[in-house]
Amino acid sequence: MAALLRPARWLLRAGAVPGLPLPLRLLAGGPGRPRVALCLPAACPGPAAGGLLSQARLYAIAAEKKNYLQEEPTSSHRRNASQFDWALMRLDNSVRRTGRIPKTLLQKVFDNTCHSGSPGGNQALLLLRSCGSLLPELKLSERTEFAHRIWDKLQKLGTVYDVSHYNALLKVYLQNEYKFSPTDFLAKMEEANIQPNRVTYQRLIAAYCNVGDIEGASKILGFMKTKDLPVTEAVFSALVTGHARAGDMENAENILTVMKEAGIEPGPDTYLALLNAYAEKGDIDHVKQTLEKVEKSDLYLMDRDLFQIIFSFSKAGYPQYVSEILEKITYERRYIPDAMNLILLLVTEKLEDTALQILLACPISREDGLNDFGSFFLRHCVTMDTPVEKLKHYCKKLKDAQMHTSALQFTLQCALLANKPDLAKALMNALKEEGFPVRTHYFWPLLVGYQKEKNVQGVIEILKGMHEMGVNPDQETYVNYVFPCFDSVKSVRAVLQENGCLPESNVFSQAELKSEAVNGNLDYILSFLESNTLPFSFTSLRGSLILGFRRSMNINLWSKITELLYKDGRYCQEPLGPTEAVGYFLYNLIDSMSDSEVQAKEEHLRQYFHQLKEMNVKIPENIYRGIRNLLDNYHVPELIKDVNILVEREKIDSRKTMQLTISDLESTLEKLKAENQPVGDVLKQLILMLCSEENMQKALELKAKYESDMAVGGYAALINLCCRHDNAEDALNLKQEFDRLDSSAVLDTNKYVGLVKVLGKHGKLQDAINILKEMKEKDVLIKDATVLSFFHILNGAALRGETETVQQLHEAIVTLGLAKPSTTISSPLVTLYLEKDDLPTALEVAIDCHKKYKILPRIHDVLCKLIEKGETDLIQKAMDFVSQEQGEMTMLYDLFFAFLQTGNYKEAKKIIETPGIRARPTRLQWFCDRCISSNQVETLEKLVELTQKLFECDRDQLYYNLLKIYKINGDWQRADAVWNKMQEENIIPRGKTLRLLAEILRNSNQEVPFDVPELWDEDEKHSLDSSPLPEESNLQKDLLNACQWKKNKDAYNIFLKAQNRNVVFNGETYNSLIKLLLTKDNFTQAMQVKDFAETHIKGFTLNDAASSLLIITQVRRDYLKEALTTLKTALDLEQIPSRIAVTRLIQACALKGDLESIQAIQKMVNGLEDSIGLSNMVFINNIALAQIKNNNIDVAIENIENMLTSGNQTMEPQYFGLAYLFRKVIEEQLEPAVEKISIMAERLANQFAVYKPVTDLFLQLVDSGKVDDARALLQRCGAIAEQTPIFLVFCIRSSRRRGKVPTAFSEDGTGSAQ
Amino acid sequence: MAASAVRGAVALRTSVGRPVAFVRKIPWTAASSELREHFAQFGHVRKCIVPFDKDTGFHRGMGWIQFSSEEELQNALQQENHVIDGVKCLILFFS
Repeated sequence: MAALLRPARWLLRAGAVPGLPLPLRLLAGGPGRPRVALCLPAACPGPAAGGLLSQARLYAIAAEKKNYLQEEPTSSHRRNASQFDWALMRLDNSVRRTGRIPKTLLQKVFDNTCHSGSPGGNQALLLLRSCGSLLPELKLSERTEFAHRIWDKLQKLGTVYDVSHYNALLKVYLQNEYKFSPTDFLAKMEEANIQPNRVTYQRLIAAYCNVGDIEGASKILGFMKTKDLPVTEAVFSALVTGHARAGDMENAENILTVMKEAGIEPGPDTYLALLNAYAEKGDIDHVKQTLEKVEKSDLYLMDRDLFQIIFSFSKAGYPQYVSEILEKITYERRYIPDAMNLILLLVTEKLEDTALQILLACPISREDGLNDFGSFFLRHCVTMDTPVEKLKHYCKKLKDAQMHTSALQFTLQCALLANKPDLAKALMNALKEEGFPVRTHYFWPLLVGYQKEKNVQGVIEILKGMHEMGVNPDQETYVNYVFPCFDSVKSVRAVLQENGCLPESNVFSQAELKSEAVNGNLDYILSFLESNTLPFSFTSLRGSLILGFRRSMNINLWSKITELLYKDGRYCQEPLGPTEAVGYFLYNLIDSMSDSEVQAKEEHLRQYFHQLKEMNVKIPENIYRGIRNLLDNYHVPELIKDVNILVEREKIDSRKTMQLTISDLESTLEKLKAENQPVGDVLKQLILMLCSEENMQKALELKAKYESDMAVGGYAALINLCCRHDNAEDALNLKQEFDRLDSSAVLDTNKYVGLVKVLGKHGKLQDAINILKEMKEKDVLIKDATVLSFFHILNGAALRGETETVQQLHEAIVTLGLAKPSTTISSPLVTLYLEKDDLPTALEVAIDCHKKYKILPRIHDVLCKLIEKGETDLIQKAMDFVSQEQGEMTMLYDLFFAFLQTGNYKEAKKIIETPGIRARPTRLQWFCDRCISSNQVETLEKLVELTQKLFECDRDQLYYNLLKIYKINGDWQRADAVWNKMQEENIIPRGKTLRLLAEILRNSNQEVPFDVPELWDEDEKHSLDSSPLPEESNLQKDLLNACQWKKNKDAYNIFLKAQNRNVVFNGETYNSLIKLLLTKDNFTQAMQVKDFAETHIKGFTLNDAASSLLIITQVRRDYLKEALTTLKTALDLEQIPSRIAVTRLIQACALKGDLESIQAIQKMVNGLEDSIGLSNMVFINNIALAQIKNNNIDVAIENIENMLTSGNQTMEPQYFGLAYLFRKVIEEQLEPAVEKISIMAERLANQFAVYKPVTDLFLQLVDSGKVDDARALLQRCGAIAEQTPIFLVFCIRSSRRRGKVPTAFSEDGTGSAQ
Repeated sequence: MAASAVRGAVALRTSVGRPVAFVRKIPWTAASSELREHFAQFGHVRKCIVPFDKDTGFHRGMGWIQFSSEEELQNALQQENHVIDGVKCLILFFS
């Protein structure tokens, strides 16, 4: 002993020497030091024996690490840090509340950490440290196993371990009393090239001491000495344990003296070690003496320490002394977690009786009798297979002590959850003895257990057990819990009969029926109903039937069953009668389906209705109206006409008059036709009437008959009718006929949309896309409703699972620019896969949308589903993506909303309490609106509740939303409660909030307890600010409308109004406005709009059409330089300006003699001539004209002659039209030029046999009234008379020109015979 | 939990404007018939739903009660404590 301690003493004496580490000097400082100073950071190994640990310390250290990490600037660490925060938060919360970490939680955090990629060192540390005494529910060996699993897995994932990890592992070994070889451990560290530190040595000493190996401990101590490492209280405490476990209590006690000699005053840890040592020996006297000694000193043992002494006594087999220690417990604040930890540990060690003793000693408030305490104990007892007699006894004790009101029920629940049928049965009997009813559903969890392993025998046993206990299985028991265990329902009946547990009542038959219905086995249902002799009411069947119908798509069976119920007296004896019963049934059937389901099954429902019609099934008109409203709400108005046919019509008068009119019209039509008079009007009227009658067949026949008399309007109505009737074939044919009739005619937007819908639905994708293209080309007005219709088309297809349709139509709509990519329009892409429950692809598609369009459609729904399915991998992936692309805050909000939506409020709370998160008003409002529209009161209430402490949260706005939902539900009490809550939270409500509240109260005839503020402008403005969207879209709609109707003044005024309100529209709107203003020659205004758009929309540019119009206007105003710039800008943006715009500009330049500009344009449009439709002649004519204007007549003529006579002609002579040049020269009276050109033309004709120029000249002379000159030319050059084709073209053109056709075409200088 | 919330939302869609109470913290020992029995003292219970999780055989502690009239619902709401099987349940909202 003395030998052992010598090095330590030597070491410690040296403490006075300057230059030693600080802790050592502190240690050498003498007695009376506060305990804190002794506790070196991260070096306190705690009590040597594996026991309770100070949890607070553990987490304090972890938290320090966290702060350190957060300071690192790199973003790659940020995700790890947040993952770490999350894990720390979860574990820390658990420890603070319950003194422990449940295994499942640790497993979850572990899995999550693994999925995060390469877990950081701090995460590893956190996990490892949790594997010791914080897992009291696990056996010691299991805990160590867990630690090893974590160690190996993280190492594989690339976590780099440092000495802190090895030390943490050592700590876990100590706490779990794991037997290991310290030398091997050191060897392992050496292998990994990790230097052990003082803490490592201390813990290795403790490891030796735990098994009483003083020799081993002194070896390490000697080693520490050679390394000049300080010896701390922890080492001495370990030595106390070491000596005690080696059976040498005397030396154990002596250590305290040695410590004092060495200048270290024994602290609580040392005394605790000594106390535990005595307790392990069952030496109550020494324990008491020591405790007294501690009390007399200024040291203080905490409840936690006393709990540990209790544990030592119990574990060593001296439970009789527990009560003496219990008396000393003061039950200081926050003692409960420690008590719980001890109780659970005792149960794990099979010391349940002591555990109960401690539990019962806990001073729990028992006043209200509604807060149960001790559930954790009972649950763990069940887990640890405590005998049932003991459990019953414990329950009674807890109940008697008024600690737990329903201990038996709770224990039974635990037994059921843990799937322990024998225990459960015994507990149920105990309950029954106590007079508490045993109910059918108590057996369901047990049945679920057997069902999962398909254990038929087990199920039979349970059924027998139920019988013994006098509980009759009900329909639900059979359908949900018994049948699934069998391969078929038929076999159940046989097996039950065999075992004598088939009930006599018809419960079983009903269960069979329901079960078959759930499986969609309508064949069975039909034959059952046909052969059944038992009394069944329609209402009792309704639920099952609806389920069955929805699961089977066999429409014939739907109809047959409905017919049977309608016509068979067995089922329709109710006062309702068959019409109403079936009517209600149809209503309920549709009502039970979601809108998407009805949309997807539209065709099936239609068939069904038609078959019912044929079977002469009728429904009352009022129920029809109900169904109609449902269908309207579901966005499937197309089905209404199909239900309509079932209506029982008592008064057919209205129809008769209608038919009369139709036949009237028909005969009028016949008459007119016979008299050879125009029939257009009557025909159209008749077609419209047939359309409103939904009589497609007849309307089409009529059209076929009077094909030649059909006009655009009739076609439009017919197309729409066919679309409504889902007749894609005819709709498409009609559309083609319509186009042939007038290719420029435009349908209204709804009809186009109808066509797209019906064509898409029938797989005529290319045709549907063509319609979309036409919409774009004809510039059909796209309203918000149109975009919504597009969405419904895509969504419908998505619900039907038509991948191709959704993808192609979406692509077309978006690339054509008919709708901008938005979360709405693109959501069907995701819906496709959500519907198929293919979550990975759904997520993939959403991410893809973000890559393409910077939007993330339906990410909320995807997340909700992922959470419901517990797809942690995918959630992680989604979160990583959102975090990376949209920031961590967005990610947190997404997660928050998803948790709220799925009812995981605890998780939601944790998310929104993330440090650093702040309010995002738009996101919060989005979720509020969502809750309000789907009337999710609870979710909204939770949102408001959980965001109370959210930084910068607009509480008033949230409460305003809450009031909105209460208003919808007419709930004035809750609205009133909001008023109180707002006061409690010290919120100053805005005027609109108070007004809304007042409105709710008044509506319910309640007094308004405050002054309702008047509607002030200020408030108005605020509401505008807070919701600029509707304002913006309304103005934009108005503006587009005005543009459509060419009301330039109105449009411009709307623009000014918006400008005043700071509302900015999208670029297209400005383009439309600019176009309109330019065509109306409002140049200044157009420029004003352009400037505004350019300064308010980043990257705003004019589109092709607007640029072209601008060029034309600039030319007209003689702003040639600007026009040239506009052209250049447009071309730089790869736009294609119109031919007219370019030509006008070139011509204007030519008349100015601006040769350079023309050549510049020629260069600019080089290669685009074909796209623009620009002939080379435009340049030839205008360059020549410009040259002539500059008095370079000879050059011009020489150029032209060269072109026509040289070997490499760019243009066939017959197309070489110079009419424009000739006309301009004549018009401008450039006499010398006219003369020289004339000579050139004649020369070309006479010498080169090129007659085109001379003929053009002749014609231009004629055209400008210079008939004499023309005649002279003709005489000189008789060949002119033979150029018939040229004359022909000229005649046609002139005749057109006279007929008030825009002159542009003939003016453009391409006067060639094309 | 999440699935039942969705089902609850579906139930709500059809229950807007009907006198429906949403009950939470129902003890596991009580099912719809116990709930119905308790609330029958306030009026005629038209519908009572306590959805069970078929994977566990337990319900999720919540349910819906539809009364015949608004008045009956008010009766139920006016009572402060609803104790079923010795456990205090919460009426969370109605619509």
